[in-house]
Amino acid sequence: MAAQSGNRIAGKGLIPKGALEEEQAALFQYLLAIYQRALQTSGFGCHRDFLIGERCVRLSFAGEGLMHSLVPALAHLETSKPHTPALTVYLWDSSSTKTDMPRMVSQYLNSLGEWWHHLGTRGEICELTSHRIHAAYHLGPNILSLIDKQEGVALYWVKDSKLLPYYEKGSPLRTILHWWADCESYQFVHGAAVGYASGGVLLAGKGGSGKSTTALSCLEAGFLYASDDYCLVRTTPKAHVFSVYNTAKLKGEEDLRRFPRFASWVSNRDRTETEKAVIFLQQYLPQSLTIGFPIKAILTPKFGSGNDTYIRPISPGAILSALAPSTLFQLPGSGEASFQTLAKLTRQVPGYLLELGKDISKIPEAMAAFLLS
Amino acid sequence: MKALGYFSIKKPEVVHETIEEETVIVNLENGNYYSLRNAGMAIWNLIENGANFAEIYQALSDRYQGTPEEIQKGIHDLLIVLQKEGLLQVTSTGPCLNPSPPLNSEARAVKPFFEYPVLEKFSDMQELLLLDPIHEVDEKGWPHKAEIE
Repeated sequence: MAAQSGNRIAGKGLIPKGALEEEQAALFQYLLAIYQRALQTSGFGCHRDFLIGERCVRLSFAGEGLMHSLVPALAHLETSKPHTPALTVYLWDSSSTKTDMPRMVSQYLNSLGEWWHHLGTRGEICELTSHRIHAAYHLGPNILSLIDKQEGVALYWVKDSKLLPYYEKGSPLRTILHWWADCESYQFVHGAAVGYASGGVLLAGKGGSGKSTTALSCLEAGFLYASDDYCLVRTTPKAHVFSVYNTAKLKGEEDLRRFPRFASWVSNRDRTETEKAVIFLQQYLPQSLTIGFPIKAILTPKFGSGNDTYIRPISPGAILSALAPSTLFQLPGSGEASFQTLAKLTRQVPGYLLELGKDISKIPEAMAAFLLS
Repeated sequence: MKALGYFSIKKPEVVHETIEEETVIVNLENGNYYSLRNAGMAIWNLIENGANFAEIYQALSDRYQGTPEEIQKGIHDLLIVLQKEGLLQVTSTGPCLNPSPPLNSEARAVKPFFEYPVLEKFSDMQELLLLDPIHEVDEKGWPHKAEIE
């Protein structure tokens, strides 16, 4: 079920597009009022500002629960300088603010868990999606996300911040940041990025292709680190990547053995049998984190059979296939426009296959030679 | 051979881009992505430009060497596959195509041979779509969208 915009049929007649958006905007304001009530009830409110893609994103928390869970992954981008925010996100959870959602809203959200056909394939709430308003409900962790693009405000709610999964703490607010990035001519991308201040590479590919292995081996060798899974890209005036999260993720005991230095920094060591191991690099290697750098090339990694690492040119079509599906399939509401931006990116910079050897210590050597050539 | 007329790419579920020698297609509804090259890419681009079956056949006959039967079968088979994959829909029916007369040897010499078009399909990222994040699968397996007829 694709996200719908424009008219919808209700009863016997069509509801005009403008009236639909007005209804959605009214619902947005209703939910914002619930946030305000949560702010009052909890007695705790806090603004934290972050420079994401050279723009200020303000996170306004009601209650402390979500702040402790979501800020660490963004901490390297936090700023105390006064900025006018391009986006303000209002965040709260019912548990720490002692403010339940109204029964009608709660029952509607519960019904989405049973009647999940009312959701798009990426969690879009179709009835609450238009050009101005986007809404998504991420089943499982049950995260409600909304944005009013016209007003530059967004809402983020969960029932209990203590139940947030590790992947949300490691890469928080992806849906909202993706919607916002679209307004600002950025594109949220599923990709890793490492390099130098003068330029680096975007690593594209599905989970398990070797992005994190490459990023972490380069980080260990002294490269600048922008991402191991999600980042922002801009294609004008030139291709550029911006960091969003300072987390790194290791999967399984094999990764932990490969990177023993990082293994001691894992934040969820007691749960690595069921979760990826998450490291907040801001706490341990802040000097290796970067706001971003120009993109010199896009590499798609693949594990090879030999010991050595090789970098070979491949077609732009192959790069687009590595980059676009895993990005589009994870971002509610992304479609033609996002795909066009990714296609533009693959035309702007050359693409290569990164064939990873079993000796991962040679990966940074190959990467350095490539970037310096 | 079944008459096939006009077609349209199913938007907004299907996004696509032709980049150098390849067309990359992504189906946002079912989590599959695809690649088309050569004659397949040419057919897709002709569809995007609103060509019907006859017009596609004429364009490919001008571009490639091949018998009318080979080219028509290639076009027909690809269109069927594209519909089955939920990438295309038929918008109206058109007349059955009559075979064109064969080319002379001189005209044939400058054109590449027609290769049967193949739609490469990739399903390795389907799990990224939240089709059914919490329910048990039924006897058919992972919950799926309605079968394309």
